[in-house]
Amino acid sequence: MNVLEVEGLRKVYPAFTLQDVSFTVPEGAIVGFIGRNGAGKSTTLKSILGLVHPDGGMVRWCGEDVKGCEKTFKENIGVVLGGVDFYPKKKLRAITAATKKFYPNWDEAKYQHYCKLFSLDSEKRVDQLSSGMKVKYLIALALSHSARLLILDEPTSGLDPVSRDELVTLFRSIVADGKRSILFSTHITSDLEKCASHITFIKDGAIVHTGTVAGFMEAFADRGGTLEDIIISVERRELDDGAII
Amino acid sequence: MTALLSKQLRLVCHPMTLVFLLAGVFFLIPNYPYSVAFFYVTLGIFFMFMNGREQRDADYNAILPVRKADTVKAACLFTALVELCSLVIAVPFAVLSARINPNGTNLAGLDANVTLFAIAFLLFAVFNIVFLPSFYRTGYKVGVSFLKASVCVAAVVILDVAVTHVPGLGWLDGVDTASCLRQLPILAVCAAVYAIMTLLACRWSIKRFEKVDL
Repeated sequence: MNVLEVEGLRKVYPAFTLQDVSFTVPEGAIVGFIGRNGAGKSTTLKSILGLVHPDGGMVRWCGEDVKGCEKTFKENIGVVLGGVDFYPKKKLRAITAATKKFYPNWDEAKYQHYCKLFSLDSEKRVDQLSSGMKVKYLIALALSHSARLLILDEPTSGLDPVSRDELVTLFRSIVADGKRSILFSTHITSDLEKCASHITFIKDGAIVHTGTVAGFMEAFADRGGTLEDIIISVERRELDDGAII
Repeated sequence: MTALLSKQLRLVCHPMTLVFLLAGVFFLIPNYPYSVAFFYVTLGIFFMFMNGREQRDADYNAILPVRKADTVKAACLFTALVELCSLVIAVPFAVLSARINPNGTNLAGLDANVTLFAIAFLLFAVFNIVFLPSFYRTGYKVGVSFLKASVCVAAVVILDVAVTHVPGLGWLDGVDTASCLRQLPILAVCAAVYAIMTLLACRWSIKRFEKVDL
């Protein structure tokens, strides 16, 4: 069963166009949404969340158009858009107190459990957290209201290798029961190799390939043996040395 | 809506927004254009919107299970609550002012009477209809929006000062019971104008913010 289905998503900007983006997120999967900077990953995720108005296409949550079930959709997802940038001077306690009022199924015991697990101190201010801890805090919020899908926009960007490895391990354990899924945009191929079950590859606003990791590797077998080799090979543009000089 | 209002108070509201609720204290100053007190309330509202922008409140709203329209509605409702609270809190200061300053002694504008509260409703109505839709056109241009609104608010303050100099309208400046009773219909009309303008401002803001790509 697919928890999320994106079909023909289109958004036209003066200098960039998102062209008929279609992919699915199966239940229990970690879908790596990969592409270079400016490929359209964030625009796609923001269109899914309704923050950007797509010019066409449809997003379905468990088979239902999200336009008709926006509240249910948002109650069942957890979102990390590049770490916590909001309320930097507020304590986690204050943000959590305001957040939990929005979720009827908020589980305080679960929240306390994740705070302990991630070593989050509720008395700390947001600007006192490291980038990795900010992501973990948002994940703790999402898991405390039993989100079925986590939508993460470049959660591992800018983190050191140890923190990235910790997060990747965390992602694997989140989907281990097969009930939760993760849609995770990144340009760091090594993170995907460690945890993704599916890959959606976007280039210049258009989907190049979407499917399982094995299917992806098979489709691009002639381009290299690793994800990084394949992405670089597809993305590389011929540079004219003369033009640069 | 309750959750959004609670979030507005806990995370977005600036301390000065709450301090300026005590704007009625200005009524105790002799010879002062008392409608300026309500300008400070709008200044407090401006601080709240600026604080929301600086603290990236829209990013936080994006992860919540609420519609974009609801976030605008909550901010407009909170603004109206701040304005109405400031009026209620100002009432005892108006009573005290009438006792301290005998009838007709405020040379800078209206005395703290019923007409002044009518002017306050008018001032807030003008502020809301200019500031809120202007801000929600982009969701971040808070300074320009406040500047535009302040120019219009200044016109209302001038009205406060001017009305005391118009021959035949002396009853508008009175603080005695008879004058105050005569001023009540003006208060009712201005309160109605406030309600209508605030509702329109909210609807207009929702419409504009829906078009904004975050």
